[in-house]
Amino acid sequence: MRFFKMYKVEQKLFMRSPDVILFNLGMPLIVLILISLIAGNKEAGNSGLTFLSGSYVALSTVGICCSAFMSIPISLVEYRSQGVLRRMYCSPCSPVRLLACDTIASGVMAVISTMILSVTAVFFFGYRMEGNVLLYIFAWLLTMISMFSIGLMIASLCRTVKSMNVVTSLVYFPMLFFSGATVPAEIFPEKLRVFSDILPLGVGINLLKDISLGIYDRMLIPVVILMIITVICSFVSVKTFRWE
Amino acid sequence: MYENAIVVENLEKAFGKRKVVDNLSFKVRKGEVFGLLGHNGAGKSTTIDLILGLKKADEGRSVILGMNAAVNRKAVFERVGVQLQQTKYQSSITVEEACIEYGSLYEKAADHEELLRQFGLTELQKSMVSKLSGGERQKLSIVLALIGNPEIVFLDELTTGLDVEARREVWRTLKQLKDKGLTIFLTTHYMEEAEALCDHVCIIKSGKKVVEGTVADIVNNSKQKNLEDAYLFYMEEEL
Repeated sequence: MRFFKMYKVEQKLFMRSPDVILFNLGMPLIVLILISLIAGNKEAGNSGLTFLSGSYVALSTVGICCSAFMSIPISLVEYRSQGVLRRMYCSPCSPVRLLACDTIASGVMAVISTMILSVTAVFFFGYRMEGNVLLYIFAWLLTMISMFSIGLMIASLCRTVKSMNVVTSLVYFPMLFFSGATVPAEIFPEKLRVFSDILPLGVGINLLKDISLGIYDRMLIPVVILMIITVICSFVSVKTFRWE
Repeated sequence: MYENAIVVENLEKAFGKRKVVDNLSFKVRKGEVFGLLGHNGAGKSTTIDLILGLKKADEGRSVILGMNAAVNRKAVFERVGVQLQQTKYQSSITVEEACIEYGSLYEKAADHEELLRQFGLTELQKSMVSKLSGGERQKLSIVLALIGNPEIVFLDELTTGLDVEARREVWRTLKQLKDKGLTIFLTTHYMEEAEALCDHVCIIKSGKKVVEGTVADIVNNSKQKNLEDAYLFYMEEEL
């Protein structure tokens, strides 16, 4: 109950942030609409996916990307440098509660972003998923947890707002543009494809694309990779976390 | 017999080679307003950090309500409220939301609407904390320090940067709190403030105690006319 009270306030703060609204909720929707209007039903490369179906999958991870590599590290590092965590430490509660509330609030933003996107794709552009939707949701959640662990690790490792800004930009923009999240990876040149395949978010997107097409026989490796990322990054972020 | 709320014994802390707190001892009785005085950088905030367990002392010990804050953090902070120097609040949080958030930290939180009314902040409930004036924000910090119904509050440089009027208003509210039996530990470098509020003061310089006692004793013993002159007298004597 007390946890929920704090969570509610933090969630409201996220809703109030213009950056979050624009990048997390707005951008994927705009890109989906543009791609659908320009090339929706054309096949993207030789992928077996239309631009619409490929983009839907890719854009469903933009919310994850924004939350993991912008919202989480920015809010946590700011809370630390502004003394909010220090102030929370001087209470019967642990500052970890605030971090948990923020992480959940970021996750909820990613869910909302993907829901808006899904509704638009299904009802306005006639998108239908061939694969198992439930399995897709599981893979999406795994991708989110894995990316969040990277974001939390960045928040733990970066001591100042300045270093955090540099690191998040270095992680966020390549993930956003080169993993295929916004620009369809199907139209990338061969060398760039290789790069996108090895980015953590790219691994998640490829897994999601397979599931969306009903291809289930090569899920093991990406699932294992995402789990390994989660375990390592969570471990590092917990070990290196400082509230001050 | 008075009971002690805080006992500090032979506390020491150094950052590198620089001693910030040097063999410092004092006691704070329950129900009194205690002022830790000194110029900027004298070690006041570090002393608070040590008492609250935010930093680890090199030597000595401090006991608060019979406990060690670093060991019994939860139990201590259910009964101790703090206002720390330079705490900022989340950029778009409102007064009411800050109260809800800080109230949620405690098992039995006070009614924040009642506290806001007491401090004349009711009308600002929906305002963003970032839009408040300096005085309003400091009053909010006191509200948030009181939201867990504490027995002791720590107020670190509460009135620094406030104009005269806002400072006087904060003083009035602190006097009301004192009348209710709250133990107040404050730091300041305004001697006029210490004179107006404190029962008992300890003046420190470079982390070392210079003199300790009631305001009246310190003024009388120095043969000066007020605490500010007495402060300067003791500071120079040390040179």
